[in-house]
Amino acid sequence: MRTDIVKMYKDVHTWVGIISGLALFIAFYAGAITMFETQLERWASPPADISAPPALEDVDSLIAKVHEAYPETRDNFQVQFYPAPDRPAMVTWQPPRPRSREMFSNTDFYAASLDANGELEVVTLERSQMAQLIDVLHQQVGLPFEHEVAMPIMGTIALMYAVALVSGVIILVPSLIKDLFILRRGKNLKRMWLDAHNVLGIFSLPFHIIMAITAVIFAFHDQIYDTQYEVVYGPERVPELWEVGEVPYPKHADDAQRLTPSEVVARMSEQAPGFTPMVLNYRKSRAGDKTLLVEGMDTRYIVRGPVTGMVYIDPVTGDLLRTDYMPGMQDGWHQTVISFFALHFGTYGGMSVRWAYFFLGLAGAFLFYSGNLLWIESRRKKSRRGKDAVQRKDVRILGALTVGVSLGSIAGISVTIAAAKWLPVMGLATGPVHMAVYYAVFLACVAWAFLRGAALAGKELMYVCALATFLIPFTSAVALLWPTGPVWNHGSLETLMVDLTALLVALCFITIARRAAKRIEAGPTDSIWSAGDVPTPTPAE
Amino acid sequence: MSKQTLYTSKNWLGKTAAGVILGFGLAIALSGLFAWLGPMGLEGGSGKLQLTMWITAPIWITVISTCFLFKTGLRAWAWLGAANIIAFAGLYLARTMLG
Repeated sequence: MRTDIVKMYKDVHTWVGIISGLALFIAFYAGAITMFETQLERWASPPADISAPPALEDVDSLIAKVHEAYPETRDNFQVQFYPAPDRPAMVTWQPPRPRSREMFSNTDFYAASLDANGELEVVTLERSQMAQLIDVLHQQVGLPFEHEVAMPIMGTIALMYAVALVSGVIILVPSLIKDLFILRRGKNLKRMWLDAHNVLGIFSLPFHIIMAITAVIFAFHDQIYDTQYEVVYGPERVPELWEVGEVPYPKHADDAQRLTPSEVVARMSEQAPGFTPMVLNYRKSRAGDKTLLVEGMDTRYIVRGPVTGMVYIDPVTGDLLRTDYMPGMQDGWHQTVISFFALHFGTYGGMSVRWAYFFLGLAGAFLFYSGNLLWIESRRKKSRRGKDAVQRKDVRILGALTVGVSLGSIAGISVTIAAAKWLPVMGLATGPVHMAVYYAVFLACVAWAFLRGAALAGKELMYVCALATFLIPFTSAVALLWPTGPVWNHGSLETLMVDLTALLVALCFITIARRAAKRIEAGPTDSIWSAGDVPTPTPAE
Repeated sequence: MSKQTLYTSKNWLGKTAAGVILGFGLAIALSGLFAWLGPMGLEGGSGKLQLTMWITAPIWITVISTCFLFKTGLRAWAWLGAANIIAFAGLYLARTMLG
C-alpha cells in the first residue's frame, strides 16, 4: 500500500482515537458490566417483606383479590412465573408511565402475595436503580446529559470509533503478517504497547464492527427514520406502513373472560412448544381492547429484548396474534433486525457468551486506554547527557486525563454498586443519588490525577479502584456477619457471583497498582510515568 | 509515470464534511432504493421498515471512512455529490413510477 495513504490514515486514526478514546473507555467498561445487569439488579434489590409466592393454582384467586382491592390494576398487572429478588412475587404492577424518555424508570412497583391465612398481602418494592445508572453511563458514554443531548454526542463518538477501526486496519495491513503474532517486550515500551494494541484490535475486530454499526443506529435512529419518512416513503404513506405493525386484536364482548395464567401456559405450549413463558403482561390497548403480551425464552433462538422474546396473544382465546418478536416465528426481516440487537446485547448462547462479551468489553476498554498510551509514548522526550527531559505539557495533560477518566470511571462505578446496599437504609436509593455518588468519585479521581500527575495518580487511583471494588464483597460480608444490620444477602448463586467477581477484580487492581508503583521507582525517568518528571504542584505552577 | 500528488491529512475538513453530509445523503438514497426496489417493495411490513433504517449505518460509515481517499475536499464533494444526484434521481424515478 502507498506509504502516503498509510501516513494519512495514521493521522486520521490518531485524531479520532484521541477525541473519542476516553468516552469509549467508559462506554466499554460500563457496557461490560451491563452484561450482568439482571444479576446486579437482583444483588441490589432489598429483600421484600412478603410471603412466598402461592402455588400456580392459587394465582387466580390472588389476581381476583388484587383486582378487588385495587380496581385500577384490572387492565394493568403482570404475572411473574419466575419470581426473583428484584420481582419477588407472582403478581406485580406499576402505575402507568407517561411515554417519556426519562433516565430512570418509575420506582413505584407493587408486589402481591397471599399470607398463611390466604389473605391478600401487598408491598411496595424498592427496586434499585444502580444497574440502570450503569446502563445509562454505557449508552451515553459517561455523559450526565439528557438523553436528547447525549445521544447525538454518543453518535458522533460512534462514527469516530468506526473511522478509527477502518483506519486502524489500513495502518496495520502493510505489516500485518510481520506484527500479528508477536509481542515485543523490552526497552522499547512503545513497541510493546503497539503490539498489544494491534493484536487486541485485529482479533476483536468483528465484535467492534458490530458495536460501531449498532451504536450509530442507536444514536441516530430517530433522525434516520424521520429523514426516510420524508424522502423515501413520503409522509402520507407512513401511518399505513407502520399500521402493519399494530396488533390485530379481535373484538370480544366486554364481559369475555380472559385466560388464567395456567390456561395461558397451556395454550402457549400447544402453539409454541419449546417457548417458556416468563412474564404475562395484562393491559389495555389505546383502542380499548384487552391485550396480553407474553415475555419468554426459547433457548434455541435469539431474542429481541435484553433477556426475553415476546409475543402478543389474544387474552380470551390465547391465539398468537403478532409473532414479530416471537423466537423462531419471525419473518426474515425481523429475524435479521433482531440479530443486530442480539449481537450487540450478547443475548445468544447463554452465560458463556455473556462472559465472552464481558471480557471483550474489558478488552475494548483496554484497547482505547492503550491507544492513549501510544500517543503519549510517541511524544516522549528522551533525556540527553544525563539531563532529565521535561515532558511536553500536552503530553502531561493527556496522561493525567487518561489516568483520571479511566480509573475514575472504574472507581465511581464500583462505589455506586456498593452503595446500592447502603443507600436504602438512608432512604436515598434513587437513580439520581447513585448518579451523584458516581460523579463525585469520578470527578475527584480526575482532579487527583491532575494534581498528582499521571505517574503517582496511576498508582494511587489504582489502589482507590481496588478499595472501591473491594467495598462490594465487603458489604455482602457485613451482611453475612451482621444479619440484623441494614445490608443484606440473597443467598442465591448469581448474587454470590457478583461478590466473587468483584473480589477477583479488586485483587487484579491491587496487582496492577503494585506494578505501577514499581514502574515509578525502576522505570526510565524521562517519561510521564516517572514521578520525578511531575512538577510539584505549587501555587506558582 | 506522471508525478503523483501525495495523499495528506492536511485537507481533512473538506473531505470529512463531504463524507459526513453527502455520506448520509447517499445512505438515505440507497436505503430508499432498497425500500422501493428491494425484495417485497413496500409490502415487507414493519420488519423491512426497520431493516431499511439499519442499512443506512454501514453505508454511512463506509463513506466517512473512505472519503479520505479523495485527493482534495473539492473532489470529495464533486464525486459524492454526483453519486447523490444519481442515487436520488433513481429514488425519484422509483417513487414516481411505483408510488
